[in-house]
Amino acid sequence: MNAVLRYVPLLIVAAAWEAASRLGLVSSLALPPLSDVIASWIDLLRDGDLLTNAGPSLYRLAAGLALAILVGALLGLGMAWWKPVNVVLAPVVEIFYPLPKSALIPVTAIWLGFGDGSKILLIFLGCMIPVTIAAFNGARGCDRMLLWSARSMGASRLRVLWDVVLPGAMPELLNGIRTAIALSFILLVSSELIVAQRGFGYLIGSLGANGSYEAMYAVVFTVAFLGFAVDRLYQMLVQRVLIWRL
Amino acid sequence: MSAPAQILVDRVHHMYRPPRGREVLALDQVSLSVASREFVALLGPSGCGKSTLLYLIGGFLPVESGTISVDGKRVQGPGPDRGIVFQHFALFPWKTVRGNILYGLERQGMPKEEREQRALDFIKLVGLAGFEDSYPSQLSGGMKQRAAIARTLAFDPSILLMDEPFGALDAQTRGLMQGELLRIWQRTPKTVIFVTHDVQEAVYLAERVAVMSARPGRIKTIIDTRFDKNDPDIFKNPAFVGKVDEIWNLVRDEAMKAQATRAE
Amino acid sequence: MEALEHLPVQEAMSLRALRASMRFGTRVASVVALVLVWQAISDSGIVTAFQLPSFTRVLARIWDDAVAGDLWVNTAVTLYRALIGFAIASVGGIALGMAMSRLKLVHWFFDPLISVGFPMPKIAFLPVIILWLGVYDTSKITMVVFDAVFPVIAATIIAIDGVERELLWSARNMGANEREILWQVVLPAASPQIMTGLQVALPLSLIVAVVTEMLMGGYGLGGAMITASRFANSPGVFAGIVEIAIVGYALVKIMSLIRHRLLIWHPEAHEPSTV
Repeated sequence: MNAVLRYVPLLIVAAAWEAASRLGLVSSLALPPLSDVIASWIDLLRDGDLLTNAGPSLYRLAAGLALAILVGALLGLGMAWWKPVNVVLAPVVEIFYPLPKSALIPVTAIWLGFGDGSKILLIFLGCMIPVTIAAFNGARGCDRMLLWSARSMGASRLRVLWDVVLPGAMPELLNGIRTAIALSFILLVSSELIVAQRGFGYLIGSLGANGSYEAMYAVVFTVAFLGFAVDRLYQMLVQRVLIWRL
Repeated sequence: MSAPAQILVDRVHHMYRPPRGREVLALDQVSLSVASREFVALLGPSGCGKSTLLYLIGGFLPVESGTISVDGKRVQGPGPDRGIVFQHFALFPWKTVRGNILYGLERQGMPKEEREQRALDFIKLVGLAGFEDSYPSQLSGGMKQRAAIARTLAFDPSILLMDEPFGALDAQTRGLMQGELLRIWQRTPKTVIFVTHDVQEAVYLAERVAVMSARPGRIKTIIDTRFDKNDPDIFKNPAFVGKVDEIWNLVRDEAMKAQATRAE
Repeated sequence: MEALEHLPVQEAMSLRALRASMRFGTRVASVVALVLVWQAISDSGIVTAFQLPSFTRVLARIWDDAVAGDLWVNTAVTLYRALIGFAIASVGGIALGMAMSRLKLVHWFFDPLISVGFPMPKIAFLPVIILWLGVYDTSKITMVVFDAVFPVIAATIIAIDGVERELLWSARNMGANEREILWQVVLPAASPQIMTGLQVALPLSLIVAVVTEMLMGGYGLGGAMITASRFANSPGVFAGIVEIAIVGYALVKIMSLIRHRLLIWHPEAHEPSTV
């Protein structure tokens, strides 16, 4: 019950929105009534426009993130575990960490054009950094005593990496992945707004250019809500995985 | 007791309500009277409510049942008549030692020259001369506690409430600080209520020791502990040692009870 | 090496400066190494000059822009938008955070809005903001504020909630009233963490400004980059990346120095996080 009560202010805002628009308190062109936006959303769904654009977007997200997480985690762990890897890669990570990843939008566009490739590459490059850093810090922070205990029980170096370091690094790594997920949405939407021919961002842009503002709002909120929902689901998943941590 | 009570605690009853979990009775019908300029120790095992009692007297927690009066008036809230010293110093980390001490004096509206001089006097009193422009993060534990004591003494409260002030210090520093405190108290006598779980510290510093039971806190007994505190061999004095022993036996049962309830 | 805690303030500061310049030295070495690798790859012919223009080419492009004045105009425009947005987000965010910490009703109302808004890609709202406010600076600055205000609010709330009770009690003990406690005790005590929130919000402000420029074109580092990409001008695009990286680095560094000055009393020897 408390959980429901917590979100009541959102209902209040929604009600205020509907009222302000219907009563003409704000221009109903710039802020169409919420009910019209919802109706528009249903239309978009029925017409198929929403889904034909959702497809590419979700595909790009998934592919880019999957690569970023896989490669990032391996690199981060590798850097923490083998000194030579660290020496080579640490400067690269340090340089690219403060670089705003959205600055890569134009460059991926000139490399791979307006299609899926440029978005996937963008998300891969951008999201890899937080995952790498989190994996590195997580592995580095592993308690020495745990490592020594495992070794003294006869585990080989590689086994220790798998049995002790990886689980120990999990909390930090999972947190880094959470950051990467949020970043992936931002990169996806930004690049689709600017340089795309399909996808949520593209749809928002073209609906806006057409003057179909209710529909534009509908897609904007769809994407925004998707970002929120994925984050919440991810947190629930993490809680399950990290059950030992409490 | 012939002298009139400065602090009167009358049948105070206090419930502790944690943000999560059940409420718990912290203090059960506690009564205590403290005369002006007396040094009283509140001694008891962890969780017995001695700090809670101190906070109630200080006005930091509201008295829900029973009364606490100071100089005849009911306690309504915190005030500069009852200065508090915390275990973890509670110095303002963004102010220097001098800045910390000046804060209370500024609140009192003391004129600038007077308060600068007063701050310096108390810095010297607690032996921190030369460190007045240091930040708390640059001081050792003992130095921080001295600064905290100086800060409280500077605004001249008639009552000093001390919540295990030496608990965060190592044993050697603690010993030195105990001597310092006694020296300061003898020079500028104030009423002191000193909370501790260390029996020897209580017997050494205080004139009377109120032994508290395990939770819910009650005052079990009050024992007279007047000795010649300036005797350099006091810790070997048989009367002293005997008193420590006597009180330790009283506390030990309560300490074991406290352990048992915690294990639940 | 002596613990910094026991040195007088002056000595501690110069030791810190020494350590900081050693860190800077390694950083410079990394950048030099990266540039050498870049040049080597582009010279080797593994990739085309279009895919990776040589570093010298990119440097030449930056130089041309500087001489022509474009670099300064674009940087100034982007910084203007980013910093105004950052300033509004900072003041507004801290104020709202303070209000949420102390007033239950305000907290109840805004908490879900912030909690839901945090993980949302707020850039998705840019078209809506453009619809409301047009295509000039106002909409860009508003987008910056919308994005940057979240970390500031979150940090402020955590900071204020985390102020130790004993600090508040000590202040009350010394006769301070509620207003004095808020400004003289709560805010200073909360300032390290609020500062951290601001340090997150600043680079965020920069990149949001750049992205809005990329979408809307025109002046600014983002606008220049997207124009270059529309003309398939690869050195121009890479120049933009380098310029944004440098501006971003400079902002973070300045912020870090400001933090160090303001929080000189803080026990943490303040290492800038990764920069």
